Amino acid sequence: MSDSSPVAGTNVDGESPQLEPTVETDEATITDDAELERTLGLTGGLAIGIGTMIGAGIFVFPGLAAGQAGPAAAGSFAIGALVALLVALPTSELATAMPKSGGGYYYISRGLGTLAGTVVGLSLWFGLVFATAFYLVGFGYYAVDTLAELGVAVGDGLVIPLALLFGAGFTVLNVTGTENAAKLQNGIVALLLSILVVFLGYGGLDAMGLIGDPSAPEQFAPFGTMPILTTAALVFTSYLGFAQVATVAGEMKDPGRNLPLAMVGSVLIVGVLYVATIFVATSAFGSERLAEFGETAMVEVGRHYLGAAGAVAIVFGGLLATMSSANASILSTSRAIYAVSKDALLPRRASHINLRYGTPHVALGLAGGPILVLVATGRVELLAEVASFLHLVMYGLICVALLALRRNEPEWYDPDFRTPGYPVVPILGALASFALIGFMQRASQLIGIAIMVAAAGWYAYYARDVTLRGALQ
Amino acid sequence: MTRVLVPLAILEGETVPAGLPTLLALADVTVLGYHVLPEQTPPDQARLQYEDRATAALDDLVAEFEAAGGAADHRLVFTHDREQTIDRVAAETGADAYAITGVTGPVDRLLVALSDAAAVDRIGSFAADLVAGREIDVTLFLATDDEPGGRESLEAAAEALAAAGIDVETELAVDDAPFEALVDAAADHDAIVMGEQAPSLRSFLLGEDAERVAAESVGPVLIVRSSDGA
Repeated sequence: MSDSSPVAGTNVDGESPQLEPTVETDEATITDDAELERTLGLTGGLAIGIGTMIGAGIFVFPGLAAGQAGPAAAGSFAIGALVALLVALPTSELATAMPKSGGGYYYISRGLGTLAGTVVGLSLWFGLVFATAFYLVGFGYYAVDTLAELGVAVGDGLVIPLALLFGAGFTVLNVTGTENAAKLQNGIVALLLSILVVFLGYGGLDAMGLIGDPSAPEQFAPFGTMPILTTAALVFTSYLGFAQVATVAGEMKDPGRNLPLAMVGSVLIVGVLYVATIFVATSAFGSERLAEFGETAMVEVGRHYLGAAGAVAIVFGGLLATMSSANASILSTSRAIYAVSKDALLPRRASHINLRYGTPHVALGLAGGPILVLVATGRVELLAEVASFLHLVMYGLICVALLALRRNEPEWYDPDFRTPGYPVVPILGALASFALIGFMQRASQLIGIAIMVAAAGWYAYYARDVTLRGALQ
Repeated sequence: MTRVLVPLAILEGETVPAGLPTLLALADVTVLGYHVLPEQTPPDQARLQYEDRATAALDDLVAEFEAAGGAADHRLVFTHDREQTIDRVAAETGADAYAITGVTGPVDRLLVALSDAAAVDRIGSFAADLVAGREIDVTLFLATDDEPGGRESLEAAAEALAAAGIDVETELAVDDAPFEALVDAAADHDAIVMGEQAPSLRSFLLGEDAERVAAESVGPVLIVRSSDGA
């Protein structure tokens, strides 16, 4: 799997992409003078994927989604899962062919060239920034509800200040903290899954009328089919986590096996949980009441089925879940910035590591700063949609990159995992990704397009002489 | 030829004590320079920044081992997990032992602990190859509850070393706490050879025996690896 390609081009600062031939084994990446240990196992990969996704889909969206689509919001989540799967399969193939940090950006820059690579790389940075801001606002709502459950009613006015405080806190912790938080993340995800399985199991039996009081069924799609699609576009943010798995591809053990399993597995697991959650939630209350409860509607659902204990469990779960989503996304953002900076699409100092803590403080700052600005807007739905927009562009292009690489397979292209149903799956994946963008609010679309145009402008100014297509390192 | 892995946190200024290259002069040495990164940092990102500095430091260390008459090479690894890296490189190089570097001048007296029952033969022959024909006194040490059996295996091991022309003494600690007895015995020796004890509840709670011995005694500890994976 090694290859060396001529390095071509420099950016405005005179830096070239840092490309070196490497040999990939299951346990390490071997460069000329050094080795890079692969330390993440399948559990770690699943924890990143699930941990990033579960906060949004279960703890933030149910109320918002039910308000827009009624009980058919379950269908919206199912559509989201299907689109995510259609993209996760091609992403898995590319990830096993190029198991590098940088994820989607890397495949697109190598498969489709520098312009597409720059646009996607910088869009991924901002996409993750929008997603993190969204998770943090969700966290703010849960923090306020936690205080309320503890008897300290502070009102929603504190949502944004708390989100800002913790956003800044996570950024600083990631710069200064050298504790191994991965084990903590695994534990949090395991705990969350246990809470959810108990809760959904009980609520599911109740909702199907097997226990508890029977409730009158509500019309499944009170607003028709169009809201199901627009809601799918909104809640797609709940499925962004598998791309985060790709950003740590360079650190996964046995990448040929673990990357596809972690990406596809995490999408399947959270997809099932999301659909079940919406079903249980809309059975507990009508979707109208659910919508009134807003971002923390699940707390009321927990109270409905399991009383005060249920409410506390959900509040606690929501705090943990939104926190782990936000933190994992800050880390992914830093890796995304590193990947483009290594390729000379951003100044090299963006990926500088400080000596004291060994952490990439510049990249973390470039993640944390914009995140705080966006959190301050407090626009949950807008943040979510722009995040989805920018990711969906990348997902669509990942599918296109797969088609381009497969049509004319380069010598180095040797993936351990090949997408089943080729070429139908990547074609459908690309079409579905781009189509979902069409169902978003106009404002989200405009912001997303503006960011992509700005990224293209940056390419024209800064890095138009850099050549990346087919350049492996 | 025996191969010894010498892992060092290369960018944190860990160096090799003066006596170690001489002690390992008859072995093939692989200096493993590693740098542990917090999970926020991709190993490759650190490599771009530190590779040149780390390689220069490793070249100097390899030169020290070669100056003492040994054969040495080096590996450089950026990792999130020190244990995993040492295990992998030890297996890949087929190392018989790895070193926890301490502080020592010339090594005149070597303590060889045979407490790892499964590895007595391997530890003995490793010590024989290490010393082979040099003026280094060896003390074979065993802590056990079974006095006759312990004496027997000490004698057998001592005979094998003596046959190779090595000055051997034996020391048997009966009914003492094995770990404390070993640390006491280590006090008047310059370096220690011992086995990789099987992980036990005790080592889970207190850290691996070898690491604890290294922490308690000043000199370097050479840990003979278990056969699996070697």
